[in-house]
Amino acid sequence: MTTTTGGARNFKVVLLGDGCVGKTSLLLRYIEDKFNEKHLTTLQATFLNKRLNINGNRVNLSIWDTAGQEKFHALGPIYYRNSNGAILVYDITDEDSFRKVKNWVKELKKMLGSDINLVIAGNKIDLEHERTVSLEEAESYAKLVGAKHYYTSAKLNQGVEELFLDLTREMLERQEHNTQTEVNRTSQVVVVDDEVPVQSTCCSGHRSS
Amino acid sequence: MDGTYDEIVSENPFFLELKNEYANLFQHCLSESWIICVPRIGSLTSRVFTVEDFCAHLLVPSDELPETHFNTLTEKQVTVMNKVITVEVSKGLPLQSHILFEETFYTEDFMKYKVWCIESPLEPTKTTDDAVVSKEYLSGINDCIDLLWTQAAGRQVLDNIEQNVETFLKKHSNLPVAIGPLRDTVSELYTQCLQVTLQNRRLRDKSKSCKQVLENIKLSVESYMQHLLFDSIFKSICTSCAYEDAHLNKKIRNMCDIQLRDLDIKKDLYHTVPKAKQILSKIDTYNTVLEKLVCLKQALNSINKIDSSNNVVLLTADDLLPVFVFLVIKSGLPNWFSQLTYMKEFRFSSAGKCDGDESAFLITTLEAVIGHIQSGALTGPPDPEAYYYYESNLTEENLSCKQRKSSLTESISTSDTYNKEENLEYIFELIKANQCEQVQTILQKNQKHLQNLQNNEDNVLKISLDDLSNDEDDDSDLEIYHKLCHPLCNCKKCKCKISKNLLKTCPTMTSRDSHGLTALHVASIHGKATIVETLLEMGSEINATDLNECSALHYASSRGHQNVLLLLLHSGANINQKNIDKNTPLHLAVNNGHLHCVKAIIYFAEHSGRKININCANESGNTPLHLASKWGYEGIARLLIEHGSEPSLQNSYHKTAFDYAHNLRILQVLKSCTPNLFEYIHITSSEVKKISCESEKPTSLKLQNLTLKCSDTNDALKTIENLKLIERILRAISYGDVKLACFYMNIDYSAFIAPDKEKRNSLCHPLCECQYCKRKTESCTDFDVNVCDSNGFTALHYAARYGLDEFCNILIFNRANVNCRNKKAQTPLHLAAINNKTVVIRLLLDNGANINAIDVARNTPLHDASETGNIGAAKILLSYNPDITLLNATEKTALAVAKDKVHLTIIDLIDNYANKYANT
Repeated sequence: MTTTTGGARNFKVVLLGDGCVGKTSLLLRYIEDKFNEKHLTTLQATFLNKRLNINGNRVNLSIWDTAGQEKFHALGPIYYRNSNGAILVYDITDEDSFRKVKNWVKELKKMLGSDINLVIAGNKIDLEHERTVSLEEAESYAKLVGAKHYYTSAKLNQGVEELFLDLTREMLERQEHNTQTEVNRTSQVVVVDDEVPVQSTCCSGHRSS
Repeated sequence: MDGTYDEIVSENPFFLELKNEYANLFQHCLSESWIICVPRIGSLTSRVFTVEDFCAHLLVPSDELPETHFNTLTEKQVTVMNKVITVEVSKGLPLQSHILFEETFYTEDFMKYKVWCIESPLEPTKTTDDAVVSKEYLSGINDCIDLLWTQAAGRQVLDNIEQNVETFLKKHSNLPVAIGPLRDTVSELYTQCLQVTLQNRRLRDKSKSCKQVLENIKLSVESYMQHLLFDSIFKSICTSCAYEDAHLNKKIRNMCDIQLRDLDIKKDLYHTVPKAKQILSKIDTYNTVLEKLVCLKQALNSINKIDSSNNVVLLTADDLLPVFVFLVIKSGLPNWFSQLTYMKEFRFSSAGKCDGDESAFLITTLEAVIGHIQSGALTGPPDPEAYYYYESNLTEENLSCKQRKSSLTESISTSDTYNKEENLEYIFELIKANQCEQVQTILQKNQKHLQNLQNNEDNVLKISLDDLSNDEDDDSDLEIYHKLCHPLCNCKKCKCKISKNLLKTCPTMTSRDSHGLTALHVASIHGKATIVETLLEMGSEINATDLNECSALHYASSRGHQNVLLLLLHSGANINQKNIDKNTPLHLAVNNGHLHCVKAIIYFAEHSGRKININCANESGNTPLHLASKWGYEGIARLLIEHGSEPSLQNSYHKTAFDYAHNLRILQVLKSCTPNLFEYIHITSSEVKKISCESEKPTSLKLQNLTLKCSDTNDALKTIENLKLIERILRAISYGDVKLACFYMNIDYSAFIAPDKEKRNSLCHPLCECQYCKRKTESCTDFDVNVCDSNGFTALHYAARYGLDEFCNILIFNRANVNCRNKKAQTPLHLAAINNKTVVIRLLLDNGANINAIDVARNTPLHDASETGNIGAAKILLSYNPDITLLNATEKTALAVAKDKVHLTIIDLIDNYANKYANT
């Protein structure tokens, strides 16, 4: 799933969410550091690469945007298989989009178990006055499923970088943890108490290492 | 493909020195978030750097245009466009350098800074002439060959690969069809080729120095290998994907008239579609995965939109995917699934790499598109064009609501508002919702209204009188006159009412919408059999055509509504009608992969005796078989072949069905077009005659039969027809379909299903001429039941082999020769003995079969039964007094054969029989 080429880890991250919640804007904001769509070298915002170096850990993020329309929902598994992280985006002014996020979370947990790091992003906080999804609800749900919750605004460039950075850190942590347990496993020492606390609430059944 | 340069910047000497030796400058740089440019590792000539060197590589964003304009710390102007850095120099040309990649660094205390790895230093004096290979971007097979040739300084590497591929092909003349093993064998070859390549010293040295070069070499080797191998392996891939391809093609064909708007594609993307389609449809002309991927990428990149101020606007996945779905549907490629499988499974050079790279993304996108089409989530435009804009979700339930409402309004309001029923679209919708009765009443009413108007064009008043007196129940017409002040009123108001009635455009069965569709067309499109039936009863014109000259039959067959199709055929629709593209209904049914409709058309034509030209060509010269072969419909192709389709016909592009067959399975079906028949096409009738004259041996039975059939030695074609018929008969027999066989042989099957079977089975005596037996003999067919196929098998042989006693009976009554022999000189009795068909053995023997008949190997039926150990057969044969002393070609009696095979029961049986025989 993840491989290290030349010291860099490759992580695949998918963006999931209803149409019009601003998935693509988030991505663009992050990659090109722009909200304005001009001056772009790429024609499509469906696949983008970003190199990071976090404390000397080189990471190559491949970020895949997906189509949000309901009719393409069934194609989800084709896109998110083998991904290391998923960003679930909803629009804070649209309750329906939050419900979709819940569906996605359920599906991802079912299909990929705990092999994937999830973050939930409530986008468009620049439209705070039109908010329909309550802050408590969203945060308590995120906590329940073991995902971090962020408020973002692609327009104002708020929270976007933190979102991606934290996700990358988490993925790094998970990978290190995994390789560690793998090493432990080969030496037939079972480590039980060394779990990452973030995703311990849900689907703990998968994680009996 | 994405051969992007990579190096570990944090180990770059330039960067290290800046960080360690000039920590203050570095820290300052971080806090100001300046951009650090680091020349790539190979471009640095010296390992000694001055402060000026570093200052020249630190970019300070300008205040007005922070994205594109910078100043270096040495106060030079820098612009960035399209990943190229341009530095203004006081003298001469500006200095340029590519940005190879950008890396964002985060320090422990969450400081963030950006590093650009650049191709060459930003100082004029420090440029080097180190050959730049790192950014080499492979985009086609030529690039690959170029790389292997120039980097290895000679053709040797290429020759080596060629040699390897050649030996591989020789070794694997039959490549495995299953994808897994195929992939593995080819992967092995790839490893071999790569090994051979890296034996070249120059390439090895270069790849050691730079990882990027190694990646490119890998890719080149893979591509060159695929280039050489493609024809062989792609056939295998197509074969293993045959089912998926055919399934996908059927889905695609059935929505081929889908429009951009059906997929919710944004209007401002429309203009890019033709070009993207053109690019994408070339994907099958490329042999390598690399080129196919480049093609995909180009197609995707060509989809872009331009906003009002002529700027390129970014496309999101939401916009892109529907367009891509549309492109795949419209591309006209018959093997998308195979293409996908090829790209997915044969990318060896990137095996083990993360599958998150761009190629993986492109392939995933294609997979998603194909998955989407396959899932059936798309159902094409459900409606004919005409009432597209009249989109309403008129389901059965809310129709009844509407009905109630409309009846309500009808009763309340007067008829001066336009009634819904006057709308052709409304009727079409009723048809769609299968509201048969309503459609009928409306149409009838309208018909009547029309007639009335026509009959009494001059005198409107007369109608009213007539209506009043005769037509009590015609409400709508009547209503008007009831509403007049008095029947003969002439006031303005009444006149207006009458004229409105005249102006009323009431749709009837002959009314057409803007595309020339009648009610019958619409009913056929939606497969509403009851409505079609009603409309036909009401006298709809059955062969009416729309703007595309399509009849209702065309629509029924293209949409796969078998019941409607049969209904129309039985009501006398023209089975050979051609539409504007000269497609017959058969063409359309085949094109859209509706096997059951193809069957219906062919069998109907056969039964009703209507001639159907199975090799009919459409506008582009394609026969139905061309289409079946192209889209990979195996079942349909087989059916067409069985019914005389000719695979060697050429279309307008001089292509035969063989040329279109893209997988081995279809090819097999086409070749199965009875190869023996195939030969005969080329034998002129005179030759046939000559052969038959020369050969008197039983092996030439077939040919004798042939000449017998075309006694006037005219057309070989007739012979072929006959042979095909025989094939069909024999096949029907082998399936045990007695009825069908009888039908083919022109035997009245029902005559043999007499009320009391007993009586029929036992004739009074073989030569009886009583009334009952006579009737039977009269019902004999004029068809020669003793015709045989290329191996000399007659219908009776087959019937005996498969144990169809009833059919044996029928054949024998129709003067079948019970002692006829096939090429091996076997009689039906031999076959029945071999297959242990006891009832048939008895039947044959009762009807004069020779119990001691010998075949080519001089075996009698008893020999066969002993050989196979068929106890039942041996018992019965022995009860008919065979000669057990006969020797076969190996000088053995039946008893000896049984002893050889140790069939104890049969040895016993023959011994007993011998004893009894000796005693008597």
